[in-house]
Amino acid sequence: MRKISNVLVFIIIILFHYNSSADEKNYHKELITDWSKIFPDQNRNAAGPKFFKYIIDKKITYKDFIEFNKLYCAVSGSLIDPDSEPDFLFVNESETNMKVCGNYYKCCIPCSCDIMKYSQVQKMKYEFEDGIKEFYVFTIKNPCNKNDFPNRVNKDYFCDGKKINDKQVYNLNDKIVIGLLHDGKSCSKDEINYVKTHQVTGRYCELRNNTPLENLDAGMGDIFIKLAR
Amino acid sequence: MISKLSDFLKKIIILLILIIPNIVNADFFEDMSSKIVDNPKRLSYGISVSDIDQNGKYEFIVTGFGYPNLALSYNNGKLINVASQKIFSDEFRKTIGVAACDVDRDGYEEIYFLNTDTYSGTKKYSDRLIDLEGNKFLDIFEIEKNKEELNLTAGRSVACVDRKGNGEYGLYVSNYGGPTRFYEIEGKKIKDKSANLNLDKVTGGRAVVSGHILTDRSDIFAANERGANFLLKNNNGLFEDVAFDYRVDDVIQNGRGTTLSDILYRGRLDIISGNWQGYHRAYVLKDNQFKDIGNIKFDKPSRIRTIISADFDNDGYDEVFMNNIAEPNKLFRIKENGIFEEIKLKTGLEPDGFGTGAAVADIDEDGILELLVSRGESKEQTLTLYKAKVKKNSKYLRIKPLNKYGAPARGATVTLITDQRKHSKTIDSGSGYLCQMEPVAHYGIRKNEKNFKLEVKWTNGEKELINISELNKTITIKQK
Repeated sequence: MRKISNVLVFIIIILFHYNSSADEKNYHKELITDWSKIFPDQNRNAAGPKFFKYIIDKKITYKDFIEFNKLYCAVSGSLIDPDSEPDFLFVNESETNMKVCGNYYKCCIPCSCDIMKYSQVQKMKYEFEDGIKEFYVFTIKNPCNKNDFPNRVNKDYFCDGKKINDKQVYNLNDKIVIGLLHDGKSCSKDEINYVKTHQVTGRYCELRNNTPLENLDAGMGDIFIKLAR
Repeated sequence: MISKLSDFLKKIIILLILIIPNIVNADFFEDMSSKIVDNPKRLSYGISVSDIDQNGKYEFIVTGFGYPNLALSYNNGKLINVASQKIFSDEFRKTIGVAACDVDRDGYEEIYFLNTDTYSGTKKYSDRLIDLEGNKFLDIFEIEKNKEELNLTAGRSVACVDRKGNGEYGLYVSNYGGPTRFYEIEGKKIKDKSANLNLDKVTGGRAVVSGHILTDRSDIFAANERGANFLLKNNNGLFEDVAFDYRVDDVIQNGRGTTLSDILYRGRLDIISGNWQGYHRAYVLKDNQFKDIGNIKFDKPSRIRTIISADFDNDGYDEVFMNNIAEPNKLFRIKENGIFEEIKLKTGLEPDGFGTGAAVADIDEDGILELLVSRGESKEQTLTLYKAKVKKNSKYLRIKPLNKYGAPARGATVTLITDQRKHSKTIDSGSGYLCQMEPVAHYGIRKNEKNFKLEVKWTNGEKELINISELNKTITIKQK
């Protein structure tokens, strides 16, 4: 009797006080608050790399890192609503050319196509507050030598002359990290098949990726593609 | 068996003590709307509190959008409109913003009516600046020499700013899609000085407050839409925008109701700022930057309009009233250390209310604040009036500072110093959204509180310390 009543009292107290004491970390709010620090000129076009650099420079745990990286679009640089669902897709790994599958949080579906076609993934190791972790990141080649560097993108964010600007974006083996591939791993055949037949990552992306650049008007249009191709 | 049962009962009692505060939400407000005489459905917007007829009593000035502007005076237990002159009621000009202050230094407040007949950019009808001459209201803007300074840009809120600290109030007009205006009277002529003061920025102006935010002079915080907020630091009467440095620019959110509040009861004014369907902010200054300390319940995005920080229930802790449009209102109590505790509303919730503005004043002079809520926008609705249910023996103290001209010292800061707190309140220059509160610092008194002192920081930064020997009264303090 005594044990049961003790347990009962304990459970009820916890239940009633949970709501008033719970105050989770609000990652989305933090990014909104610091948006003007991340983009001082207010140009976030294709500036996913700026978000990645801002996040990884924070003193945070691996969990924080994962959560923050769900909240911006690596292709467009847009913020994403906290309850958005990712697209499951694959991207080629730069060293092995193997397909790596995982989840990509995007602002709109054309960005899933662009990231599949114009980025690569690399494994990256990093020491967080709770230890060293390994994960896959999306990368693009150094764009700083391009003659057709898109004029709607702030070049100073990415480049220091012809070099990658390490102070503004994360440089991984002379490539710019533009975002995180969540839950990345080598693809199974079934997963590749799933992605290829999916209505977005399969059929829609095939259509988009076969559309001439000058006719692209969805998503970031041609801005990211010009930067990343 | 008996001892086991008594043990069990003891636990149940402890349990009830612990959970009762969470499950019992005694109704906080009482609905007093029936006290409003002639309260038809209409489109009402901003509310100010001022003494329009110079009789020593405040009126609620309620703007009307295609409806008459009202001045609700408390007489014989009822709130009744006492403004009938056309220049004041002016139902054709579509008024939304209002603020009052003594612009012409005669000791009485003029009333700025911000009219808006379009959402953004150029508007048809200008604003009015209403002065009482004898028994007749006149519009200072209609005097021939002032006609070149009309504000013909859509706007939202207005605040009074004594930028030089000498009692010469100017009016910051928060325009939308056109330059901000800053009016002052110079040589008996009204003049827009926004360009000279570096204030003529084009933005989606929404709300504005002024007071001792950063300096010993009147600083300005303007909450904007589709652009960064402004935090205008007063440097000897000139302004410098430091919103980015102080981290209150909030550039990708859309500002709405804003107020100054001593969130930490530490003797300084911080900023509460609501964002339209965005995170609401409780900015507290620390190490030359504002940190947002609002918790997950407080900052939850909503269709916010006016925000008011006031001690409605005279318990010595301020509440924050959030007036949402077509969404339930919210109320929080600011506890020690900046903890926002939600008070579940029943009366005053107004889930279907199209709240557009709200203001507080102790209009019936009983030591308890009344909250008047205006409603409208896309649906005609009545005004609503609320008063908190206070404890029987609750005590209060009301401080009414007057400047050297004898006018309400809007922008001055009053600080109550006791054995339990150092609690600052602004004499409201304009706040909430489109609104302005009574020019009185209203304090409820905490349990067992003692050693009462008051400090008034005037708009020129000078301070005056006053000992308090008696509670439950309104103390008028005149600037020397």
